[in-house]
Amino acid sequence: MQTVQPCVTIGSYIWAQDRLPYDEFMLRLDELRAAMDHNGWPAVLVYGDVREHAALAFLTSFIPRVRWSMALLPRTGDARLLCAMSTRDLPAMRTLTWIADVRSGMGPEWEKAFEPWLERFKGDQATKLGTIGFDIMAPVLYAAVRHSLGSRFALQRADDIVAIPARRKRPRELTMMRASCKLLKTAAKTFAESWRGNHEPETAALDAEHVARSLAAQDVRTLVSLDGGRALVPFQGRFEKCPGPLVGYLAVKVLGYWADLFITVDDGSIITAARQTAAALDAIIADMRPGARIGALHAKALDALAPCKLHPVLGGSIGHGIGLSLHEGAEFQASTDATLVEDGVYALQVGAADAKAGNALTSAIVRVAAKGAEVLVRSSE
Amino acid sequence: MDERTSATRPGRLAAATRHLADQALDGLIAASNGLNNFLESNAVYVFSGVRPIGESAVVLDRDGVSTLIVTPAWDEARAAAAASTDRTIGTDDLAATLKSVVGTHRLDLSRTISVGLALLGAAPVERIASALGTLPKAADELARDLARLRTPDELAAAERATWIAERGYERLLEFARPGIREFELVAELYCFMKKLGAEDNFLLLSASQHNLAVRAAGERILDVGDIILSEITPCYRGQFAQICRTTVLGAPRPVIGEKFAILQDAMAEGLYAGRAGATVADVTRAINGVIQKAGYGDYCRPPYMRVRGHGLGITSDRPGDIVDTNTRVLESGMVFVMHPNQYIPESGYLMCGEPVVVTDTGARALSARPAELDVIAV
Repeated sequence: MQTVQPCVTIGSYIWAQDRLPYDEFMLRLDELRAAMDHNGWPAVLVYGDVREHAALAFLTSFIPRVRWSMALLPRTGDARLLCAMSTRDLPAMRTLTWIADVRSGMGPEWEKAFEPWLERFKGDQATKLGTIGFDIMAPVLYAAVRHSLGSRFALQRADDIVAIPARRKRPRELTMMRASCKLLKTAAKTFAESWRGNHEPETAALDAEHVARSLAAQDVRTLVSLDGGRALVPFQGRFEKCPGPLVGYLAVKVLGYWADLFITVDDGSIITAARQTAAALDAIIADMRPGARIGALHAKALDALAPCKLHPVLGGSIGHGIGLSLHEGAEFQASTDATLVEDGVYALQVGAADAKAGNALTSAIVRVAAKGAEVLVRSSE
Repeated sequence: MDERTSATRPGRLAAATRHLADQALDGLIAASNGLNNFLESNAVYVFSGVRPIGESAVVLDRDGVSTLIVTPAWDEARAAAAASTDRTIGTDDLAATLKSVVGTHRLDLSRTISVGLALLGAAPVERIASALGTLPKAADELARDLARLRTPDELAAAERATWIAERGYERLLEFARPGIREFELVAELYCFMKKLGAEDNFLLLSASQHNLAVRAAGERILDVGDIILSEITPCYRGQFAQICRTTVLGAPRPVIGEKFAILQDAMAEGLYAGRAGATVADVTRAINGVIQKAGYGDYCRPPYMRVRGHGLGITSDRPGDIVDTNTRVLESGMVFVMHPNQYIPESGYLMCGEPVVVTDTGARALSARPAELDVIAV
């Protein structure tokens, strides 16, 4: 789910070398290096910002807390990282990545930061560089990069050639996902218990956020319904009692990896909606296996949900990949022509919105194993 | 429009409409990428009063009629309740909806300006250019210029944000102790201030026996003798306010107090210099002068400090960074944070800063209690 982007991510960030050591990143770079060889790129530029940085984090461990960062990953030689932070902040930035050469790209002359940064590739022959993540780069920044590159370089989208991060989670990534889901489960329990303890939805969400942050979550996002589950809203600061069930959303990020859940607690008014959403989620999970077609899963979910309609906050989707980004890969829409992969991790989300049956949202995070689904975390019922 | 929306925000739409008339323009498209930087202006917020979740735009025509477009579509009801625009539309396709709204407003794009389009990603900008057939001429400074002086409601919100920051700092003094980790302390402060109404918070907090700078919290365990640096920046109804504080766990070495007094003197000089009509450079020189006089002129540059303060988003970041190359003239009603934060070799980095409003007689701190070197007994 999309939520309001905070101005800075305040949680605990480190390069956790015990869990994601240097060799893990060298292994992750293998596929990119093969693409460099195949396409004649001496280097790839990888861009990420504070909101979307999955590829940058996958390859470098670096996550921008504010603004943007860009890595220069050469086929041979040392990598470089440019981040939109002051030189004063660089010592702290260097603790977040295996890349030793971290430089500042901030200040009144930030446009000039790219020139010395790209100096090593100067030569007589025109050169192609691969790019990842440039779709989200602001045009003003892109123009500065282009200006620094001059006519000697051509840029070629690598996003379509090499999938980074890979759809199939690596073993260490699965460990990270499990850690994230474990923390999420604890915080989600607090969310529900706080509401049952007679707190209003915003206080319940804040209690859950507090627990997650105290357990070293890097980022926490919440949404709540103030109208009986018809709509979700970000923090309003109203702290008002609301009649009806608790319907909320909680996402946590642990060492770069996201996990999210819907939290619905029935007050007795949404028995039918809660039952139908649970049945729909069960139906999808039962069919999760490598090669399963997403369109077929979507149809199955909607059949199980009937006569209720899919909740509008889901935008017609019943899930998506999850990991270094809250939304990885294609949305699970009726028309999505894609299949599940083994060791893919997916957020499955089902909801009902019905004037009579009520409004409910439920979800799970599932790893697709060779013979079926491993539920990493699921909304309580 | 609900009670949380500034009653004066329609004034910004009226001011923008007057600007269109003065410049013989047909319309304005203000865009936001949904990111929130506490150092920058969010044009959609300035003109609509809505802090968007995703990419969004405000369309304003020469008659003063306005439409807010937000993504995702499901956010429409919230946005409509808070918006000061005439109409609100939720969509999952900003480019297509923008094309439709531009048509409804019958804008001549050759006489239309844009604010913030350049901040959207390359892909959405390309989609908008394709949908509209062209991109309006950029006037990216307009929102921050029109909003450079806080309205009475905005100043009240900034004062409330300052109040929240000060309560947050009091909570730090109660909660910080040897043995807890930096991120645990930040979790407590962040949620405490959110409970007081802070919808966002640029909260940096770090500790060391000798700090090089402030940074975001990590896993470090607080220890006796640590100097805790905090940059507490809650946002209340779109107004960020920042206080910078230095706190010692246990009895500080005398030199810490001596050096902190230099920062306090620099702050006093800055407040005196920050009157309407002075330039930002004047304020910077007043602050740097004290630090230079104390023998630390070599340290009045990065990485030993960053700036002597800065504007605060998300309405307007004017007057910009408090640096000696900024010749912008201060005006009554401008709000910014003034902070002579400084690395000093004998003490490490120290922090001292307040949100201030410019008046005819000097800059007035919004905080009730100016920064002191605080000590937590252990």
